[in-house]
Amino acid sequence: MRAENYEPKQHPPSHEYELNFGPNHPGIEGNYALKVKLHGDTVVSARADAGYLHRGFEKLMEQRLWIQNIALVPRICVPDPSPMEVAYSMAVEQLCGLDVPERAQWLRVMQLEMSRITAHLFYFGGHAATTGMYNPMFWGVADRDLVLDLFEELTGGRVYCIYNMPGGVRRDIPEGFLDRLSRLLDYLESRLPEYDNLFFTNHVLINRAKGTGQMSQHQALEWAVTGPNLRATGLQCDVRRDDPYLVYDELEFDIPVEQGGDALARTLVRRSELQQSIRILRQIIQRLPSIKGPIRAPIPNPLAWNVPAGEAYVRLESSKGELGWYVVSNGGQKPYRVHVRGPSSMHAVQVLENLAKGSRLEDVAQIMFSLDACPPEVDR
Amino acid sequence: MEKPIHMEYLLNELANIKVRNERQRRMRLDVPSKELPAVLELLKGRAGFMHLSAISCVDWIDENQFELVYHLWSNQVSTLVSAHTRIERDPGVYLSVYDLYKPAAFWERDIHEMYGVFFEGSPDMEKFILTEWDGPPPMRKEFDSEAWVNDHFDWQNYRPDWLQEIEQEGGGIAILPDEQRFSRKAEE
Repeated sequence: MRAENYEPKQHPPSHEYELNFGPNHPGIEGNYALKVKLHGDTVVSARADAGYLHRGFEKLMEQRLWIQNIALVPRICVPDPSPMEVAYSMAVEQLCGLDVPERAQWLRVMQLEMSRITAHLFYFGGHAATTGMYNPMFWGVADRDLVLDLFEELTGGRVYCIYNMPGGVRRDIPEGFLDRLSRLLDYLESRLPEYDNLFFTNHVLINRAKGTGQMSQHQALEWAVTGPNLRATGLQCDVRRDDPYLVYDELEFDIPVEQGGDALARTLVRRSELQQSIRILRQIIQRLPSIKGPIRAPIPNPLAWNVPAGEAYVRLESSKGELGWYVVSNGGQKPYRVHVRGPSSMHAVQVLENLAKGSRLEDVAQIMFSLDACPPEVDR
Repeated sequence: MEKPIHMEYLLNELANIKVRNERQRRMRLDVPSKELPAVLELLKGRAGFMHLSAISCVDWIDENQFELVYHLWSNQVSTLVSAHTRIERDPGVYLSVYDLYKPAAFWERDIHEMYGVFFEGSPDMEKFILTEWDGPPPMRKEFDSEAWVNDHFDWQNYRPDWLQEIEQEGGGIAILPDEQRFSRKAEE
């Protein structure tokens, strides 16, 4: 080689090395990757690498009829799909000026809160597994399955319910459904002390999670952290209370907060939220029989439906944080533009990269799971 | 006690802004592209719009423009402001608001990847989702995904020679003609 063609390569310092963490790794949620630079087993820097799960939802939605998209949207987030279909339906209703009947609104809240319970139960299992405990995973998934049974009875689908449509919901509750839901809530509540013994007060969790992935309230606000992760830093902030939608302003519930800002606080906030969801569902069981009326507003022929031109931005509180849907119509039969703001777009990229920095390699998985990062929301 | 903030007075300080109150707690601003960073700074500093919810990009191909929408939420006035601005599609360059809002880095990177809009001053414009993609930005309206697939991928041959040979001998996985198929009708 001639000297003028020689380009010296920039090698990293010899004490640092790079590790590809994911996309196929038991400590990574979904198909996601982190490129981690390590010094010993301390993380020097981390870089999120998405794209293994990109299915192009936003482009696909522009090519489908308004009504067809209902079957597509829940797929955006697998562990908590219900808020997606509710948000999309609400956006289309805003564009058309449709008034949703009251009974449909209550049924939607019921679906959202049941979905929140399933997502949180899944989350406990995931977080426990990253600290080396596998029993809460089995328990969480088994208890989640009981909620899924009710989803199946109500909607026909276990995970992807496809229960909503612009204007309301597809079916009314089956006979005796509220009794079965009530019994399930009793059961879940009776399980919580056992979860406490196994998981939330377990020293395996507390020693590993306390102080791990800690962020201050100031950092959380700067990085646009929302949902339970923000409430774990001590700020009482919830879309259901600040910007109420559906019938949340008629329901009584508390917004639990924790002060730590670390992985433990994030888990404990979700534990309290599970109780609040049970409380909300109990109120719905009480109120729903007295609310009569249709379950959906009449809509035009859905196969030739020109939604009036305009735009709508819908926010709602999913189990992971603030979910935003920006839908634009130009008066055609298909959406002109749909933009999804998944809460994990922030949590799984900027926040995770910053929190992983300086932590140890074995804690990276725990930080990711404790943020409840959902890669499909990033990839969309 | 804090003084209540009147958004109307605040926005009167800047000319050329159209304000529309569309629904409860929703406000739409139409801002010329030169003034948008100043408007965001005013909103953040004076009305507590600390939370950048998202930046959306809409491709208005007939008007040869991109529309950028900044969704901001303020707990102080409990309002979601959507600040709309339009930039020319060609060359598609705009200013980053990263120094005001850290989360903007993610959305600007996303828009750069999907629409090809370059944000000056954004910390990271590298590819994120479409790492090995060398085509045009796919979210633009002129991008036809079906044509792209037909141009760049071969259709799978579902009946290769070896399978046809097996089928001639009576095996295989192909759908057989009606008379050879097992059906309830034949049973009866």
